[in-house]
Amino acid sequence: MTLHQILFIVISIAVLASAVFVVTTRNLFHAALMLILSFFGVAGFYVLLEAGFFAVAQVLVYIGAISILFIFAVMLTRGMMGMPRNNSQAQGAALVAAAIFVGMAFVLGPLAATVQVPFLPNSSPREIGGIPWAYSTLPVVPDQYVFDLGRALTEPSRFALPFELASVLILLAMVGSIWVARERRPAEVQAERVEAANAAAEDTKLEEALERGSVSSAPEPAVAVAAADHH
Amino acid sequence: MDIINNLLKIVGDAIYTFLHNLIPSPFIADLIVMGLAAIILCTFAAVSFMGLTYAERKIVARIQDRIGPNQAGPFGLLVPIADGIKMFTKEDTTPTAADRWVYNLAPLVIATFALAGYAVIPLSPGVVGTNLNVGLIYTIAIGSGSVVAILMAGWGSNNKYALLGAFRTVSQLIGYEVPMLLNIIPVVLMTGSLSLVDIVNKQSGLDGGTGIPFAVYFPVAALVFLISGIAETARSPFDLLEAESEIVAGFHVEYSGMKFALFFLGEYVNALAVAFMFATLFLGGYAGPVLPPYVWLLIKAAAVFTILMWLRGTMPRIRVDQMHDMNWKFLVPISVFNLITVLLLGKIFTTPGSVGLITVAPLTQAIIMAVATLVPFIGALNLVGRRMRRQLAAVESETETRREANRATAAAAMGGTH
Repeated sequence: MTLHQILFIVISIAVLASAVFVVTTRNLFHAALMLILSFFGVAGFYVLLEAGFFAVAQVLVYIGAISILFIFAVMLTRGMMGMPRNNSQAQGAALVAAAIFVGMAFVLGPLAATVQVPFLPNSSPREIGGIPWAYSTLPVVPDQYVFDLGRALTEPSRFALPFELASVLILLAMVGSIWVARERRPAEVQAERVEAANAAAEDTKLEEALERGSVSSAPEPAVAVAAADHH
Repeated sequence: MDIINNLLKIVGDAIYTFLHNLIPSPFIADLIVMGLAAIILCTFAAVSFMGLTYAERKIVARIQDRIGPNQAGPFGLLVPIADGIKMFTKEDTTPTAADRWVYNLAPLVIATFALAGYAVIPLSPGVVGTNLNVGLIYTIAIGSGSVVAILMAGWGSNNKYALLGAFRTVSQLIGYEVPMLLNIIPVVLMTGSLSLVDIVNKQSGLDGGTGIPFAVYFPVAALVFLISGIAETARSPFDLLEAESEIVAGFHVEYSGMKFALFFLGEYVNALAVAFMFATLFLGGYAGPVLPPYVWLLIKAAAVFTILMWLRGTMPRIRVDQMHDMNWKFLVPISVFNLITVLLLGKIFTTPGSVGLITVAPLTQAIIMAVATLVPFIGALNLVGRRMRRQLAAVESETETRREANRATAAAAMGGTH
């Protein structure tokens, strides 16, 4: 075994173990810290692939920004910790994750399959999966890939549009969060409270009307519509 | 002369060849050489920490018209050692309510991240821990790791003050990363590389470099980088996360003994790393005439660190709102404006050998860029200064009227009793 292989195995074990810890621990803060360790391991994979820029970007973006945001949110919700986990969607999520994993392993892994595409009768059978770089040893050009990445992100024919769309999305999120967290005048706060109280009152009225309708078996839809109109 | 100039390289090469002759497997020999280099770099950083604490005590004492340490040894030179003995013999406490693992790991993490930044700083031609082609972003990324450690300390201590200090950290350190990153872009654009070695070569007179440090090209970027660097290392006047008068000592309030010393080390080593980074990015790193390169680097870094100490000795701590105002309302806009100016000018005025509208000599290009960025910067400073003065005057007149009213009521009360 070469050193690369040993390092790969060590890092893989660290990444997987910390990832398992993230989903099994009840302490949210520990989970966030383990997530950081996991991200570090992924940065280590990039280093093994001689993609230093991606490793550094991984550390800068995922550990320097995203994880810190996680921890910040977790620290503000200390009371939530130690609560029993009763997520009803856990099994479904596990199923979806497993399906995606199998799909990725099939498409990206060394298993190639020849498939006849049914809705394109004239096409020749296609090979799906078994992307060559998954098991071939392409030469690594250490300095070139940063330039390639930069060009790919700025060339209109390649990824300029998705890149710009992503930045527009982030801008939207930023504007939205500023709007939510904006400073309100006392009058504005008062108006909002009154509105919320009115809405709540409407809701209870509607509910009561529905209840009365269902209990007394009166012309049910009429009452509901009337309540809705009133609203 | 050549021997002195290349002393580090010669010693390094000698160790390298010696070990390679001694050990048959070149791989293991390489590993040992790298380990040795890492140990030497970390030891240098840790030892310089002792020197820096002494220098800071002396210089801040001079600024405040005191003598400073003068009892332990000649000129108080043994004070760092006395400090060390004190730290070692102190009781090592862990609060009962603390998160034991997180609490005990935090000092280690902060020291690790602080020392890891030294791996890419070029000390002398051909002497660098590792010449990463992304060295510049590496140092920034490693710097963001210390945020994690401070959060671990703040949360793990299970103390309200510590948690408050950690909260402040998040907003300050992440906020000031923005101007810091924005102001290294001009340097990267001029060099065309993210490697610190290439950046130094570009500023040195050799290897096709211009011989002009980037501080001449981008004085505004250099200044903003220095300010955000001080904020990133949380030193005075940006030491909000350990403000003694507000939140006792912030995130490290529960730590004692050697664990506290590790936080202290992290702070100084980070500050020194910022000094080295500034020297490398904007002052030309090891490039300089007559003296050996490593001496030049040390002189430049020491000069920058002296400025940091000077600021610490003279500036009061700024308030939280002022800290955010300064970042988001002044440093970030001026950095973006500065960056756009540099981008445009870099396309218009170019040096021989690259594509552009007008070809000029490197020095002319530098002066054009400096003037074009400095003039709006001084204008913005004037505007902000005028606004601050107006606000101050408003506050003062308000207190004056309140004082007048108080005096009047007091006089009335006095009159009433008599």
